[in-house]
Amino acid sequence: MHPTKSGRWITQTVSSTYLSEAVAIWFRDLRSEFRTRYAVNSILMFALTTLVAVSFSIGSFRIEESERPFLYAVLLWIILVFSALSGLSRSFVKEQEAGTMDILKLSARPQAVFLGKLFFNLTMLGALGLIIVPAFILLMGYKIKFPGCFAAMMVTGGLGLGAGTTLVAAMIAQADARGALFSALSFPLLLPLIITAIKGSERAAYGISAAGWPEVKIAAAYAVIMITVSLLLFPLIWEE
Amino acid sequence: MIYKILLTIWMNLIIAAVFLYVEPAAGFPGEVSRILFFHVPTAWVATLAFFLSMIASCVYLITRKVNADFLAQSSAELGFLFCFLATVTGSIFAKATWGSFWNWDPRQTSIVMLLMIYGAYFVLRSAVPDHEKRRVFAGVYSILAFCTVPFLVFVVPRITNSLHPEDTLNPASPGMDMKTLIFFLGSLCAYTGLFVWMLRLKVRMLRLLDREQRAFRSNF
Repeated sequence: MHPTKSGRWITQTVSSTYLSEAVAIWFRDLRSEFRTRYAVNSILMFALTTLVAVSFSIGSFRIEESERPFLYAVLLWIILVFSALSGLSRSFVKEQEAGTMDILKLSARPQAVFLGKLFFNLTMLGALGLIIVPAFILLMGYKIKFPGCFAAMMVTGGLGLGAGTTLVAAMIAQADARGALFSALSFPLLLPLIITAIKGSERAAYGISAAGWPEVKIAAAYAVIMITVSLLLFPLIWEE
Repeated sequence: MIYKILLTIWMNLIIAAVFLYVEPAAGFPGEVSRILFFHVPTAWVATLAFFLSMIASCVYLITRKVNADFLAQSSAELGFLFCFLATVTGSIFAKATWGSFWNWDPRQTSIVMLLMIYGAYFVLRSAVPDHEKRRVFAGVYSILAFCTVPFLVFVVPRITNSLHPEDTLNPASPGMDMKTLIFFLGSLCAYTGLFVWMLRLKVRMLRLLDREQRAFRSNF
């Protein structure tokens, strides 16, 4: 395959690097997502529905002041994780359903495909976080003592969430019963991250013994390890 | 055959001795401490089995020898069985000493995590129709899952303290007298022997099933 004059095809040429291929796939996915808005709609609607349900049944005064930092952190992460699990598998499943998997295999190197899909999933998670976290804070009256630490926890937690699920999404796209399978396979892998993120958010909200941001570091380490291992393993499941 | 007979005699001897000959350890109420001889070996076999399964998965991904995958699958299944037994015996011990069957002690958290990972592993295996693909995916998933376990081992103890008696993990600790130690190691050997016997049966079964399927397909 060779690039056309307009340069709109994703092609593997001598000059293309892993990063340029990954960015090309990322932009292509963003463009197609912008046209259909399937993944972003399903993730956001899921998140908004749960947020409204939680806010309606708990409100901002139902829980004791001293219990709030912990319980609100739990609720926030339950909303974030399960809305992410409801839509992130789309990145690979849509290739399988549209029959474009083989073309993608021909036009880019496996690691570049993985990185492109990871960037796309992280973009989705970023959009989810930007909308849901402020809405949650406003609706529930969540008081946070250390906003910087809290924001860092959200960012690293989101990174870990994307890193831990992208490889699973690639696997379940090639299996039966995709929807249920994605949550079942991702959840055990995400459990350490979720426990860490809840603890970190709780500490940032309390404002005590949050020095050094230990949970932020653990979540960042989790993301780095998962991305590295996924990059090594991805060619095995991609070239089957 | 001779292996099976020897194993039966050995296990029966250990069980009888553990109940009739060894005295219960000091510091535990009543006869509770006897569970040491059954709980710790099951947990040890579960660890061994999962580790073996991970290694066999790596070997399969590198060499693509079907036998390695049979070993990985059988080992994971037996590991799941023994992990479940360790959870149940541990829970009984928890009721007797801590007062409740389940209280999310770090040990209980990590064992549930293991059960969930391997539960998901079997779900994945059953969901991929293609044989070759199924083996590769299962191997990849078990390596990926293995990479998250250190986080649980280091992260969860930061959050709560464990009540789990540490003597049971370290046979060389002064908390265990000579007689107990001998029968404890004897029990470990018995359980490991049982695991090896079951593993060989399981692998043989998978190999026969595979051969039968191949013969069936070659008829067409």
